[in-house]
Amino acid sequence: MKVVASYSIKGGVGKTATSVNLAYAAARAGNETLLIDLDPQGASSFYFRIGPGKKQKKGFFFNQKNHLLKNIRGSNYKRLDILPANLSFRNFDIMLHSMSKSKKRLKEMLDLLKNEYDLIILDCPPNINLLSENVFNAADLILVPVIPTTLSERTYEQLIHFFENNGYKKKKIQPFFSMAQSNNKLHHQTIKEMEDRYPNFMKTIIDFSLEIERMGVHRDPVLAYANKKSAAQAYRKLFNEIVTSL
Amino acid sequence: MKLSKIRQTRYLLPDSMTKKSFLDTLGQHFIVKQIENNLEKFALLDSFEWALYEHRIMAVRHENQRISLWFEEEDILDPDMAHNIEHISAKTRFWWEFPESSERDILKKLLDLRALYPVYEAMLRTEQFNLMDDDGKILVFCQLITISYPENIRTPILRMAKIIPVTGYKTENKQAIELLKSLGGFIPRLSPIDSLLGALGITPKPFSIKPGLKLDPKISSRTAASTIISIMIHKQRQTEHGVIKDIDSEFLHHYRVALRMIRAAVAQLKEVFPPQDVISLKQRFGALASETNYLRDLDVFILDKERYMGLLPPSLKDGLLPMFNDFEQSRAVEVKRIARWLSSRAYKQEMTELETLFENGYSALETHWSEQPIIELAVSKIQKRYKKIQKAASKITHNTADEDIHEIRINCKKLRYLLYFFGSLFNKKQVKVAGRHLKKLQNTLGIFNDLSVQTEFLENHLDQIEHQSRKNILLIASLGGLISSLHTMQMQEREKCIAALAVFSNGRNQGLFKQTFVLPVTNKKGKSSQ
Repeated sequence: MKVVASYSIKGGVGKTATSVNLAYAAARAGNETLLIDLDPQGASSFYFRIGPGKKQKKGFFFNQKNHLLKNIRGSNYKRLDILPANLSFRNFDIMLHSMSKSKKRLKEMLDLLKNEYDLIILDCPPNINLLSENVFNAADLILVPVIPTTLSERTYEQLIHFFENNGYKKKKIQPFFSMAQSNNKLHHQTIKEMEDRYPNFMKTIIDFSLEIERMGVHRDPVLAYANKKSAAQAYRKLFNEIVTSL
Repeated sequence: MKLSKIRQTRYLLPDSMTKKSFLDTLGQHFIVKQIENNLEKFALLDSFEWALYEHRIMAVRHENQRISLWFEEEDILDPDMAHNIEHISAKTRFWWEFPESSERDILKKLLDLRALYPVYEAMLRTEQFNLMDDDGKILVFCQLITISYPENIRTPILRMAKIIPVTGYKTENKQAIELLKSLGGFIPRLSPIDSLLGALGITPKPFSIKPGLKLDPKISSRTAASTIISIMIHKQRQTEHGVIKDIDSEFLHHYRVALRMIRAAVAQLKEVFPPQDVISLKQRFGALASETNYLRDLDVFILDKERYMGLLPPSLKDGLLPMFNDFEQSRAVEVKRIARWLSSRAYKQEMTELETLFENGYSALETHWSEQPIIELAVSKIQKRYKKIQKAASKITHNTADEDIHEIRINCKKLRYLLYFFGSLFNKKQVKVAGRHLKKLQNTLGIFNDLSVQTEFLENHLDQIEHQSRKNILLIASLGGLISSLHTMQMQEREKCIAALAVFSNGRNQGLFKQTFVLPVTNKKGKSSQ
């Protein structure tokens, strides 16, 4: 079982679109896949037409496998399950602070699922806190969508520094350009500069696309409703690139 | 999720249920969206022996283009769970004609030389429905399978629904089940395959060429002999349609095995029939067998083509091809001739007469043995036959002529048939052990014999070849290579035969036969026990 996190300190960079489409692509490719919606806003769950999970007792997520399994929902697609967001997730940080081994709780929890799934995708909330550190420990690969702008470049650097300063493995980080605009000169320039500085950037670039924006209307992955469009092809390419690096 | 394998539930629905009532009922709780509706000709496939059914496997041919296999009974007819073999033609029947795959490997084990052929043909409609909430979230999957006759699609013979739960939607799954129940749906009592076959009115009758007798030791010897022959005539007749349609070579093989057993019964139990009747019966059944000799020879050679090619160096392999082409052509002609013969009025009349002779016990003048209890005849026959083999085997040396070994082989075969006929009269366990020893010996002797028969066949073929053309010269060279290969193998097999015969005739086996095939001990009250 592999764990892939879609993560960024910044919001609105395409984390959820990435999680949803990669999860779909993975399931289509024959992998038993679980998408965990860690973001209390529940956008991933919404895209899969799944309402918020029932109100749970404090700490259910990190304490009991059975409770965790009970909250998993099958999606409309084969081999793809969702653990929907729950409003109690907003208290993750506080909860974790009160626990022992507080930075490895998520990893321990996911390990319990290793016989059930081939791949777990974590859709993470934008933040850098104790939950994020749990993600850094639990994930085999951390996908970081980066919009090719100066501001995004800065947040990416912050993340790298954080990893360096806290002893996390930088190798896990796999950035890729997201929401890039092909007719935007500044984007072009940033992409070139960042690729020079950070050779670990993935080859696939996810361009800004109306097709992706429409996910909210369709409430389905782009790959499901616009399978042949360039956006879908880009996500498929991204998935294949991830498979080779896992 | 992998481990928590979702429990699916299958319901048989009343034939009278309409699609509208089905949709309306499910619509009470769900938004029902049909996502698939596929109507096609389908054929249920199995071998004549129902080998797939025996292993709880189901095979279906769709429109003569694809074969679907289900290895788990729970999954049958579910298109998503099928193992498909694509790009096949209507003629694809044998495992070796399928593309290489793990499915083919399984079929190989199950079918061996048997063809996979349609045992039932009808129309199959597969419909899939998503049962959803207002958001379009699928809560339950539902499959509806309808089987009907091609000429009357609107009147189903069978309707079956399968409810496939979605993880995390237990309540909704229960709701769907309740709705199906309200339509008159019920969980079949039998397993999925049996309930399907039952609903279609198919009763699998696994075929075995063994007589499978359960004789009463006290019945008269003639009654017993009549029963044996009658059963074997029935088996012989069961294979006829397969020979006529040329489904696979096993039909003819079993046709001949049945005849051989009948002839063995007539010849070995000759004491129960008047002598002049024995001569006539031998002649009549013998004539039936000899009619099929040539076709069987051709079958054996064609089936062994790959093996023969493997015995030759690459340079000589191609030389054999014209011969096999000749065989194939001769076979095509011969199959038609045999089919005509089996369908002829004369043949049918002969068979009806023979059937009638034995059906209700053979009626003729009494003989010395005809009214004796069968157990006595059985003991005497088996003991004599074993002693004969044992005596001959003990005389075998490295200088013994091949003919003597063949003689023993024939006696072993006779003993085997006696065990088939009378095994049920004796201790089951001991008969099984004796049978196993005999089988082992027969296998060894059989290989030896096959090699000499094959050599003879090839030598005859060699004699008939004209020497002029280059093609024939190549064939002659290949045949030479083949014959010498077979000869070497036969020499090796001879040694094995000698060793096997020594084992079969040793003291332990003598004891086994002596103790197993005995008359029951009769106690004072006249009750017998073994």
